[in-house]
Amino acid sequence: MKNDLIQAYRQSPWRIQLQWIGMFLLLLVLVAAIAGVYLNLSARSAASGRQVQMLENKIEDLNMEINDLSTKLAKISSSQAMLSRLEESEYILINPNQAFYLEVSGFEPDTGFVLAPPASENTVSSPVLKPEYSNSLWDRLLELIDKTVLDFSEDSEVRP
Amino acid sequence: MKIHFYTRYLIITVFCFLIAIGIVIQLIRIQSMEDYAAILAQNKGYEGSFVTLIPDRGRIFDRKGSLLAGNETTYEVGLDLVNIDDPETIANAVSSILGLDYYETLTYANIKAGQDGRYYIVLDDFVPAEKIEQLQILKEDYQNREIPKKQKRPSLSGLMWTEHTKRSYPEGSLASNVIGFYKFLDRTGGMGYYGVEGAYNDILSGTPVEVFIPNDPQLVTELPDIQKGADLILTIDREIQTMAENVLDESLDWSGAESGTILIANPEDGSILAMATTPRLDLNQYWQYDQIFVNPTPFNNAISKSYEPGSVFKVLTMAAALDNGAVTPNTIFSDVGSILVGGAYIYNWNYGAWGDQDMTGCMQHSLNVCLAWVATELGEDAFYNYMRNFGLDRNTGVDLAGELHYPLRLPGDNQWYEVDLATNSFGQGISTTPIQMVMSVSALANDGKMMSPHVTKSMIIDDHQYEVNPVIVGSPIKPETAHTITEMLAVSLEQEASNALVDGYRVAGKTGTAEIATEFGYTSNVTNTSFVGWGPTDDPKFLVYVWLEKPTISIWGSEVAAPVFSEIVQKLVVLMGIPPDSIRMNIASN
Repeated sequence: MKNDLIQAYRQSPWRIQLQWIGMFLLLLVLVAAIAGVYLNLSARSAASGRQVQMLENKIEDLNMEINDLSTKLAKISSSQAMLSRLEESEYILINPNQAFYLEVSGFEPDTGFVLAPPASENTVSSPVLKPEYSNSLWDRLLELIDKTVLDFSEDSEVRP
Repeated sequence: MKIHFYTRYLIITVFCFLIAIGIVIQLIRIQSMEDYAAILAQNKGYEGSFVTLIPDRGRIFDRKGSLLAGNETTYEVGLDLVNIDDPETIANAVSSILGLDYYETLTYANIKAGQDGRYYIVLDDFVPAEKIEQLQILKEDYQNREIPKKQKRPSLSGLMWTEHTKRSYPEGSLASNVIGFYKFLDRTGGMGYYGVEGAYNDILSGTPVEVFIPNDPQLVTELPDIQKGADLILTIDREIQTMAENVLDESLDWSGAESGTILIANPEDGSILAMATTPRLDLNQYWQYDQIFVNPTPFNNAISKSYEPGSVFKVLTMAAALDNGAVTPNTIFSDVGSILVGGAYIYNWNYGAWGDQDMTGCMQHSLNVCLAWVATELGEDAFYNYMRNFGLDRNTGVDLAGELHYPLRLPGDNQWYEVDLATNSFGQGISTTPIQMVMSVSALANDGKMMSPHVTKSMIIDDHQYEVNPVIVGSPIKPETAHTITEMLAVSLEQEASNALVDGYRVAGKTGTAEIATEFGYTSNVTNTSFVGWGPTDDPKFLVYVWLEKPTISIWGSEVAAPVFSEIVQKLVVLMGIPPDSIRMNIASN
């Protein structure tokens, strides 16, 4: 019975052409969309790359500035400079017997200069580039698929 | 009509095909060329460049955080021959601002780019930021200046400057003998010399890394972490160091001494608080080294120059004899003015006979005859064993580059004679460096424990601070012996009404006057004067060693070195915040 059925009509050629054109346009839009996403991501990635370079340069500049400023401060407050300022201000080093000593309970004398935390302390590791800055488009796609699959699997879980 | 279109299509197809074939042929041709490798290398160059990242040299601080050695930005000024527009203006600017020769600069600026393979010429290096600022202002002024139409605009185009760091020593010559110097003028192979810069050169300099910097922003990655040079925090206290150097300079002036050394240490941990010596060098101008340290002057007398210390050495002889039990403080010695040891007569400093003296009296009057007798009572084996235990036969290991010591002559050596036991007992015929004496005497001031002298308090490596722990290098004497000798020396200073005494503070110590060996034998006219002392005697917080070489005002340590010790301690207790004994006792009893 089934084999006896014969299609009695065919679609008009203009419809078929329209379908082909539609398919082609759909494909074109799809390609354009992927290209757009790719261009967008590569442009952002390039901009981020430049930003990384600029930040690295800025870090170097800031380090140099810190060095300059700390050296300048050290020169301004060098022992010779401070001694001449003390002399100008008519300060003198006192005789030990002129000193007045006062007992202050709870006073802890300075234990020394601390420039960095001791090695034993837990410290946060230095910041690194996020994976978004180094992943390829393919990596991102796989990641997206993984995430989507995971989301679906979580959603389908039956909970009591 | 159809044929017409087909012909057109065919022509376009053939044309495209031929272009494709042409491209393929060109690709094959390029890859088979002899210059292929060069072209590839050139292309690599467009991809980016390899840059060597040189970490900043580690900084050096004093114990309270004052910067002793740091880094600052300086500039290399050069000519980019490709972009020079106005050679005369450039020559004018650099001659007036940088002080370079006008005609020489003009000659350089007129060189055509590429001539003799030159595209860039260095005019000057280590130019300070202030000078560059002046050049920058001038450059901007030329750019913004309103110029009549027919007149040529002056331009500094082609004059360029590149920044880099250089070592800087904000304190100039302060503690220069401890810090040492870094040869920063050598930008590629600079090294640290002497002192801390020399001893810790490797960890101060860090590890340079070569990295590829791509031009393609897509390939940019974070720069790798480079091993920074470690920062050092020294045990040196800048205020105490300044005070010690000032007192030393003043004492050289009034005593007429040729040179001098003052060492201040904490006997409890061996940390050096100040190390002042002469001559000193402005470390920012280290190239003057050759003029200042005329051969054979050591860079740091405190660690490199050995001398016969004289009577300050008696504290070690007496400590050894007390510890061994050969004598007690109450042992009486009848001084007849001389003693025969090894076939030679030993006399006192004034050639006098001092009669019956207990051991405190022997130290108080600094009797050579008595100490020679004490050494013979101790015996040569025990005496030299103690001297070895006091570390006099080796370097102390202080963390400064350039430490030297004079070998200790021992019984059995070719150069050792029996009389040496007697002369060595009062510090003649035996040579030590000031740092050796400080280490040995630290045992007397620290319950018998001898501490390793050191100048580094802590290091900052990879953003973590590591403390340098004090090291006990030996216990040459018992704690009781240390207390006994300290008490004996404090009493002897008090009974003598010594110039070394400090009002309000009980100190122990000993003077030294040593004859100097010349090619004609020992001379009494020129001496080395010394003093070693520590305090407060009940809980020593400082140990001071003073050595003034060949003073002219007096030959005696008691008149030259002892008052210097007293002056140092008077200022030291204020800087260290040590209250007078009475106040400390009062606080302790409450």
